Amino acid sequence: MMLASTLGPTPYLVLGAVLFTVGAVGLLVRRNPLVMFMCIELMLNATNLTFVTFARQLDDVGGQVIVFFVLVVAAAEVVIGLGIIVGILRRRPGATADDLRLMKG
Amino acid sequence: MTSLLFAQLGTPHRIQTPSVAWSGLLPVLVLLGGAVVLMVVGALLPRRSRHSWHLWLTLLIAAGSIGCAVPLWFRVRDHGPLSILRDAVRVDGLALFLGIVIVVGVMLAALLTDGYLRREELEGPEPYVLLMLSATGGLLMASANDLIVMFLGLEILSLAVYVLAGLHVRRLRSGEAAMKYFVLGGFSSAFFLYGIALAYGATGSTNLTDIQRFLATNTLTNNGLLLASFALLLVGFGFKVAAAPFHSWAPDVYEGSPSPVVSFMASAVKAAAFAGLIRVFVYAFALDRHDWQPIVYVVAVLTLLVGSVLAVVQTNVKRMLAYSSINHAGFVLVGVQAASDRGVRSALFYLATYTFMVAGSFGVVTIVGRRGDNRHQLDDYKGLARTEPLLAFAFLVFLLAQAGVPFTSGLWAKFYVIGAAVEARSFWLALVAMLSTVISAFLYLRIVLAMYGGADEADEAAPAVPRLRIPFAARIALVVSVVATIGFGLVPGPLTHASKTAVPKIAAGK
Amino acid sequence: MGQYLPVVAMLVLAVVFAILSFAASKLLAPRRPSAAKSSPYECGIVPSQEPPERFPVRFYLVAMIFIVFDIEIIFMYPYAVIYRDLGAFGLVEVLTFAIAVFASFVYLIANGALDWGPAKRLGRRDPQMSATRTTTSTVRRVGLEGRPAGDEEVAA
Repeated sequence: MMLASTLGPTPYLVLGAVLFTVGAVGLLVRRNPLVMFMCIELMLNATNLTFVTFARQLDDVGGQVIVFFVLVVAAAEVVIGLGIIVGILRRRPGATADDLRLMKG
Repeated sequence: MTSLLFAQLGTPHRIQTPSVAWSGLLPVLVLLGGAVVLMVVGALLPRRSRHSWHLWLTLLIAAGSIGCAVPLWFRVRDHGPLSILRDAVRVDGLALFLGIVIVVGVMLAALLTDGYLRREELEGPEPYVLLMLSATGGLLMASANDLIVMFLGLEILSLAVYVLAGLHVRRLRSGEAAMKYFVLGGFSSAFFLYGIALAYGATGSTNLTDIQRFLATNTLTNNGLLLASFALLLVGFGFKVAAAPFHSWAPDVYEGSPSPVVSFMASAVKAAAFAGLIRVFVYAFALDRHDWQPIVYVVAVLTLLVGSVLAVVQTNVKRMLAYSSINHAGFVLVGVQAASDRGVRSALFYLATYTFMVAGSFGVVTIVGRRGDNRHQLDDYKGLARTEPLLAFAFLVFLLAQAGVPFTSGLWAKFYVIGAAVEARSFWLALVAMLSTVISAFLYLRIVLAMYGGADEADEAAPAVPRLRIPFAARIALVVSVVATIGFGLVPGPLTHASKTAVPKIAAGK
Repeated sequence: MGQYLPVVAMLVLAVVFAILSFAASKLLAPRRPSAAKSSPYECGIVPSQEPPERFPVRFYLVAMIFIVFDIEIIFMYPYAVIYRDLGAFGLVEVLTFAIAVFASFVYLIANGALDWGPAKRLGRRDPQMSATRTTTSTVRRVGLEGRPAGDEEVAA
């Protein structure tokens, strides 16, 4: 609490932006589907941090409520992603994103 | 016991709960409830049945949803838009128009799905449930007046479509398409959400009405945050509509996904994403249009060119149609870029007519793909006019409509969009749009020539391939699409009038 | 702060030593790679494929179901805090939500997603497996005989 009031929102916003970038770069660089999912999670949670920071700065509870919804969406996304991976791995064990090259592009 | 319960519930210090105008939400609720019922009943009954009751129930639910939307349409037309759930959802002409377009997309896709599932031995209620759930998200997106509701709608829409893309479990390409669509879709949703966060930080609200009011009454000393949020939101929308720098997923996903699902992706998903785009940019950020119009301008030019030029070099018909759908997204962007009543109206008209064209096109692709859904090369269409003249004629109609030939709805769609661009003084954009029409006409002609020409080689191949089976339901979808495409081409009046009625007022310029 | 100086110095020294060691071995060591040397194992038969591993789909399934139902609870907590104040409105909302969630639960049970034990039930009910699948067609034998060639899918 003390820290928040003395530092102001900027460090939190910067941290959110940095985490978001780490996630975005990681998604483009890594080739393991599970790691790619984790990167998407990281991006969503970086956004959550940004929301909470703004909510505190604006003294508005709305931004915090949004975080709940985003968490649920993130969980749903993970489940769908895992389902897709399981579907693929059943047919072909040990697949990475580089193996998914039946179609050019 | 009950009195105790009520005593507890009835304590003082009540939070003022919003009154919900449920009637305004009926189209969404019917679709959602229907999907849940179909899911449960379908799981309890045997999966395979000779009667395709999954399909008929889906059509019934979709028709019910449209049936609820039509009275609302007249109510909204006469008494103004409904604002529901503390203005988080706004039911107006735009929401209902595109909502009906989306549900029609569901019906056409469902009609195509039935025969496809039987051919590929994939029977089950899940595809229909997912189609309806996805459409629920689409309707929510079209009527969202709050960025978070829009995000939830987008996610409901997309998550269901990711699964639909991987529907064909025995086909590796299908899984690959689902994986690609999922990873890139998740990526773009994260950008979209970050854009919402920044817009929230910049304006202090996620409600579009509040944002608009805030931007009208305040001048931001430093609008970097707002500009960043424009860019991020555009990335999110651009991905969903497959606009140019974010289009790379589309050909692969279209090629790998089951063809009926592709018809849904290209029609309903696009319509929903454009609904969101129009709501956020043309309406909520109306006063900052000079900031976002140049970005949309560039994106539209790129989309038009990429969609038409790259389509010509493809040999796989599904990929060709994927690039052509990118090109069509560019056309709708031209209408959005105008940021005027006329622009929005033309975009709505385009989306409505394109739904029939693209659903019909992918319907033909579904049938020609045969068992395994793999015969999508241009060679597979050789001599189609002789073996299946009616099917070839239907495809001819859809292709000519996409090329914008007279007496089809495609002509009017392109005409209105370009008219809106000229009115908004985007002459170069209009020129690029017309140029891209000429380029992509080559592509459509190639398919037409393959179908109606190439007789000598086809003679040898003909005995080897059995006749195509065209399921009854798919026939209905094709006939409806052909009738709509030619009908709106000959008599565009009713649809033009409806799209005119649908457009809400845009806030006046600064 | 001064009392931590040795620790900091030690950390810096350790990092510098590690970097120096790697750099030295990169620079000084003779490098004459050959195909045999750079392969993971220098002796034995060359692995022709990844070793077949058992892939417990069931665990993933349960994990996925858990995540979804676990996170749904997130909406129950705020409701539990102020359910008195929300009154009948909140009750209706939460019940609607719960019905939607439990409909999916019914779906899962009806499809045998939660049946533990030998896979026979799942095999029979799961639409994703054709009825012709037997142990001889699903269990993988070591070697390449009898396996579908390449990556291309087999339209069953």
